[in-house]
Amino acid sequence: MNPDVVAAIARLSREGTLSSEQAALFSRVARRELVSVRVEIRALLYLGVLLLTSGVGIFVAEHHADIGRWAIAASIAVASSACLAWVIRSAPPFSWGEVESPSVAFDYVLLLGLLLFASDLAYVEAQFTLLGPRWVHHLLVVASVYVVASYRWDSRVVLSLGLSTLAAWRGVSVSVMAHSLGAGGAGALRVNAVMLGLLYVIAAVLSVRLDRKAHFEEIFGNAGLLLLFGGLVSGVMLSDLGWGTWLVALLVLAAAVMWISFRVGRPAYFAQAVLAAYVGLVRLVMVPFSGQSTGLPLLLAALLGVGALVLVFVAYKRMPGR
Amino acid sequence: MRRQSIAWERAAEVRDAADGWRRAGAIGAPTHEAIKNAYPDPCVTPSAVWRVLTAVMVTAVVLCSFGAFALAIRPREVGLSLLLWLFGGACVVATERLEGSLRLARRGAAGAAAFWGIVLFLGGLGQLLHEIRAISGEDALRLFLLTSALTWAAACWRWGSPLFAGLSVASVFVLLAQVPFGRTLWIVVGAVLVGVAARHLDDGALAPSHRRAAMVVLLVAVAAMYVALNSYSLDQDLLHELRPLAPQRVVPSTVLFAGAAVATALLPLGVLAWGWRSRRPVLLDAGIVLVALSLVTLRYYVHVAPLWAVLLVSGAALVALALAVERALRRVPGGEQAGFTTDALFSDDRGQRVLQVVAVAGTLTPAAAAAASAEKGFVPGGGASGGAGASDRF
Repeated sequence: MNPDVVAAIARLSREGTLSSEQAALFSRVARRELVSVRVEIRALLYLGVLLLTSGVGIFVAEHHADIGRWAIAASIAVASSACLAWVIRSAPPFSWGEVESPSVAFDYVLLLGLLLFASDLAYVEAQFTLLGPRWVHHLLVVASVYVVASYRWDSRVVLSLGLSTLAAWRGVSVSVMAHSLGAGGAGALRVNAVMLGLLYVIAAVLSVRLDRKAHFEEIFGNAGLLLLFGGLVSGVMLSDLGWGTWLVALLVLAAAVMWISFRVGRPAYFAQAVLAAYVGLVRLVMVPFSGQSTGLPLLLAALLGVGALVLVFVAYKRMPGR
Repeated sequence: MRRQSIAWERAAEVRDAADGWRRAGAIGAPTHEAIKNAYPDPCVTPSAVWRVLTAVMVTAVVLCSFGAFALAIRPREVGLSLLLWLFGGACVVATERLEGSLRLARRGAAGAAAFWGIVLFLGGLGQLLHEIRAISGEDALRLFLLTSALTWAAACWRWGSPLFAGLSVASVFVLLAQVPFGRTLWIVVGAVLVGVAARHLDDGALAPSHRRAAMVVLLVAVAAMYVALNSYSLDQDLLHELRPLAPQRVVPSTVLFAGAAVATALLPLGVLAWGWRSRRPVLLDAGIVLVALSLVTLRYYVHVAPLWAVLLVSGAALVALALAVERALRRVPGGEQAGFTTDALFSDDRGQRVLQVVAVAGTLTPAAAAAASAEKGFVPGGGASGGAGASDRF
């Protein structure tokens, strides 16, 4: 029970601000006589999908020799098709606008179907070598299917998975269970991250400009900026040669993102830009003192932090729709 | 907490509820405006993104300033303690000033300053205790933990952060692990804290943030009781890990182990039943997590089936359970049964959506292609735990 809200509802009802019907409903919720279990159902579905896909993976790895390649590939395909058939049957018609999910489970059954499809494709590729030496491109196929499915069935979750799989195809993984910026050449990975980030940011802009799934803009935008700033900050911090060029690029981009996000009212973009610029500038103030045991660079970093705080306060005050 | 801060917090609770009613279309704009006028909240309250950004920058300022002074002065032993206390004190003073300001109280700066104030104070104390030779290592650790528990509790009481309540109770339990019969004390003190906290969850006399702190205390206490009672924890003597200076552990008797096994099964069900009866989603969530942990414990001792079968069956069971509950709730008239519904009611879905996206992209994304070897193979589940990915592991 939320006693403050319960008391307020009683007062607002007495004063005639709320009708008796409104007060009765709001009071039930505030007294916990009516509780939503939407989050709990979503959590159960997410865990279920996680366990199922892991179980399928381990089963296939342990028993592929006993059961046979065709049988395994066919059974995963059947399971995936069953999930996707359910999705197709219950999906509302396509629209370029935002479409409400028909149920809480819809997104997760779609996710399960697509993950099983991806597992099946990976297994088929591993066993039958369809793509030959270009086998890593199966991730591109999977990512494309995810993105198309996210548009058809209006799923932010599937879109985010599609974008992260596309990044994985280019060697950059956001998975907490895998290496981010894996063992490939760091320079090439950085360039991949920046290019992919740019592509996502362009997609974010286009989705709003063309009014095609405009609500996907946040997913595209945040993923794109994460990759862009991640790549540039990694260039500033980890690259011994030419870090100055990376820093200039980082600061220019951060300033542009701050300005645009300030104008269109996107605090998450603004925050990423401020943090990335701060990290880049800290490297700049540290470099002249490298090898010296002095507190001056840290003092400068603290002063930069104060400057960033002032910027944050000013931006908050003036940002529209913050 | 300041009386004025409590009044602002109460008004903010009502305004938040009104925002939810408005978002759901249950009230019109004039009613929304009338409620906001009836419950004025003069504090500036930015969204979570602004608060986190501010807290991160305050953290950078505090730590960099401290580092700069420490490097410049290079204090030794007691001097370092004094410097830590000086900075801790400055953070506490800053917190007090920020908390009293209408413009700054809820912007994330006060919370971060308070947190680092306490951490630096405790760091100074730890350094000092380490330097005093007359105090043994065990006594120093106990004194440190006792001070930690009291300081975090006082900070929670003064500034109302539920995180501080959690840190205080965690300190209490780590302290109890240092004394003989620590496991028994975890159960007894845990039960007492659960009882006390449960009585204050809906206490209108408390500030809203203190009620949330009571919920955090309850959850930490339930977790501590579960750790103390869990058969794996007893078997491996996990509490012994918190007592590095203690003598060698004693192997538990069969009777004790059997009792722990029963408790491992019953406690999660009890929490789940309590959550169901009281219709508290947080307790339901805690019950679900504890049930999952108990099933993992069961699987550790009883190999009922291979791992893949356990994962498949439990995954399918969870999906089936969720679908069944959703279906049952959607089909009843009014979409409500026993006070539960799948409607979002008046809650803000945006935060949940972000969590959903982060969780899925973070755990189901395949490993990076460049990280994999040139030699191809199938990775179980595609990626690390789903997704897709061919690599050298097969």
